[in-house]
Amino acid sequence: MFCRNQTTRATIARGSALEMEIRRGKFRRSVFLDTLQDSNIQKKIDHEIRMRDGACKLLAACSQRDQALEASKSLLTCNIRIMAYMSELQRMKEAQVMQRVALRSSDAGPTDDRLPCKGKVAISDLRIPLMWKDTEYFKNKGELHRCAVFCLLQVGAEIHDTDMVIVDRTLTDICFDNTIVFSEASPGFELRVEMYSCCSEEDYSTGSTSRKLASKLSSSLGRSAGKKLRVAMDPGACSPISNGGGATLLLPLPTVVGPKYHLLAHTTLSLSHVQDSFRTHDLSISGNEECSHWVPLYGNVCCRLAAQPHCMTQQMMSGCLKVKFGGDPQSWTNVYGVLKGTNLFCYHRQEDVEANIEPAFTISINKKTRIRASEKDRHNKAQSICISNHYGGEEVTHTLSADSREDTHRWMEAFWQQFYDMSQWKQCCDDLMKIELPSPRKPTLVTSKQGSLYHEMVIDTSDDISTVTDILARRMEELELRSQLGTSPPWMSLFEESPGCPRTHNRLPHSPLRCPRPGLLSSEASLTSDSDSPCSTSPCSRYSGWAEPLSLSSPSSHFRPRTLSLDAKLSTLRGRGYGGVLQCSCQPPSSSSLAPIPAQCVPQATLSCSSSTSSNSSSEGSHSPELSDGTPFSRPSSARQSLRNLRAKLDPRNWLQSQV
Amino acid sequence: MSFIPGQPVTAVVQRIEIRKLRQGEHLILGFSIGGGIDQDPGQNPFSEDKSDKGIYVTRVTPEGPAEVAGLMMGDKVMQVNGWDMTMVTHDQARKRLTKKNEDVVRLLVTRKSLEQAVKHSMM
Repeated sequence: MFCRNQTTRATIARGSALEMEIRRGKFRRSVFLDTLQDSNIQKKIDHEIRMRDGACKLLAACSQRDQALEASKSLLTCNIRIMAYMSELQRMKEAQVMQRVALRSSDAGPTDDRLPCKGKVAISDLRIPLMWKDTEYFKNKGELHRCAVFCLLQVGAEIHDTDMVIVDRTLTDICFDNTIVFSEASPGFELRVEMYSCCSEEDYSTGSTSRKLASKLSSSLGRSAGKKLRVAMDPGACSPISNGGGATLLLPLPTVVGPKYHLLAHTTLSLSHVQDSFRTHDLSISGNEECSHWVPLYGNVCCRLAAQPHCMTQQMMSGCLKVKFGGDPQSWTNVYGVLKGTNLFCYHRQEDVEANIEPAFTISINKKTRIRASEKDRHNKAQSICISNHYGGEEVTHTLSADSREDTHRWMEAFWQQFYDMSQWKQCCDDLMKIELPSPRKPTLVTSKQGSLYHEMVIDTSDDISTVTDILARRMEELELRSQLGTSPPWMSLFEESPGCPRTHNRLPHSPLRCPRPGLLSSEASLTSDSDSPCSTSPCSRYSGWAEPLSLSSPSSHFRPRTLSLDAKLSTLRGRGYGGVLQCSCQPPSSSSLAPIPAQCVPQATLSCSSSTSSNSSSEGSHSPELSDGTPFSRPSSARQSLRNLRAKLDPRNWLQSQV
Repeated sequence: MSFIPGQPVTAVVQRIEIRKLRQGEHLILGFSIGGGIDQDPGQNPFSEDKSDKGIYVTRVTPEGPAEVAGLMMGDKVMQVNGWDMTMVTHDQARKRLTKKNEDVVRLLVTRKSLEQAVKHSMM
């Protein structure tokens, strides 16, 4: 506006107060401009910038790999969102300029272009199959190379990200469980799916040389990218609105130290890919095996892409109508009509709509319907609308008439709009596709490893017996009352000897209301459990439990001693069931209290076992590289060992046992 | 834990990760195994089904790596590092456990108490 070659004719004196106002961006010359959208986008950009700063700080501060990966992912998402918003802003400004130019240049009336209605587009159940070499997958050789992967989904300026998934060669597919809904998408939408991956093995606190390089690269990129943006956003070129806040956007991108995600694959989905079921789409993969962030993709992505145009879900038009069936000249019925989806619902009264009462009748409005406006009706001055449908070969005609001419026009307009929408949204208008809204996050059963069949039925290592005893103890609590009636489950006998033992003495400090363990009580085969914190002690804590005496009443005792006694019990039961050779006489201390320490218990067992086995060695003959009683880890001399080996292996009656 | 030949085996398993302990030039796990398809299954004191030729843990060295990891005597070993152990000879099983270049073995083991616990918890 300050240059001579501008097409605008108005000029502003330099240095005037008005000019200052314009520079500050508050004054809008043209009343046709929609500034609300601008400020919305500006707010979003500011928000994303703040998020980006936060992510950078977090990235610099975090020490753990998982946190670093998450922070880096949010950083990348913020950056991409900022770029998208800025280009959207640019587009809007250009559109405004074009609009103004068009208005000034031609006197065309309001354009007759019809805009199709928007709709909701949802993508869910993304699954990307992987293609490991069979040597890697089955033999489990070599180091476990892990990558962190997530997807970005973009429609226009709206970008959503999925959760991050760690991929290693035990996975057969990468699954993203999120359902992502884009609320305002036009039928010509383009949903860009991008997959980013990052190797999650390296040490990110790298030495100074690579950091320098990284900082050089990122700052130089930032500057050049910033320059481009600055040029594009230059107010002198087109728009009279100077972006007062624009300066802050163009700072060079902060130096990033930490895991960096790279684009691995992308694809673009559009209306033709929308279907109410799962479909497979091709991925374009960028990168090859040499990259650190490589994940062997099969080349496809499966997902469910559904769309709900607003014309199917919302009431497009409603009002009072008079309907006549067929050719019957006199039978006009007063109804309240609601146009929604592929139907015109006609209710007796307007209140029925809210009351969810069934409509009196329904006229379908679909691709095969024909609608005509006619003036034939001599009784009414208003136009009437004829709707003809084919119901099973017969042509059925309804004639509608509104109260006034304007109403009739509006109904016709609504019908045309509906037809137009249906032609634009094509297959989405045949039937309403279901879109499940992402529910508030339930605490899902998190399996430590996804994927292969072998990992489906696993109890977490550190919780095995303690979880079992928890369940048993809890059942006991529940059955406490019931047991008074005399019926007690068979396994109660396990606890009869020590009446108070596996009771939750240890749990007294904790609240009696323990959250249920969905993992263990579910009927699924997978038994992963999310355990209370006391239970998830590492296996090493077993030994701490050994040292101290098991005291029933001290609330600070660990769980492990208690569970060991249960182990002992269970192995007793098992031992009693033997007629066999190995007399595992590891009976628990027969006294009723469990104060006799488990520490004594198991070595006792081992000693008795090995003594019994050695006593039977003549008949079995084979405890070839067995341990001697004293030092557990010493090995017999090699000569004896080899002789024993040979003899043992050659004798078919033996049941070989090997020490590993 | 009974199996029908020809039918897939389902079992409630526990995953046990054992870090081998270095003893001089040996890497030991701290337990003994018995069984194998070349062995006489009738002599297996731990198996329920006396025709089960699987690999069973016959002894666990106290305070050894296996015990630390939660292995118990009488466990049936189903897999070692992804390799199946339900249909192997005794020597093959031993070899799979004692590979010199592996520091960690991940076993899938099953035992009767696991199944019972699950059954009782679902009653």
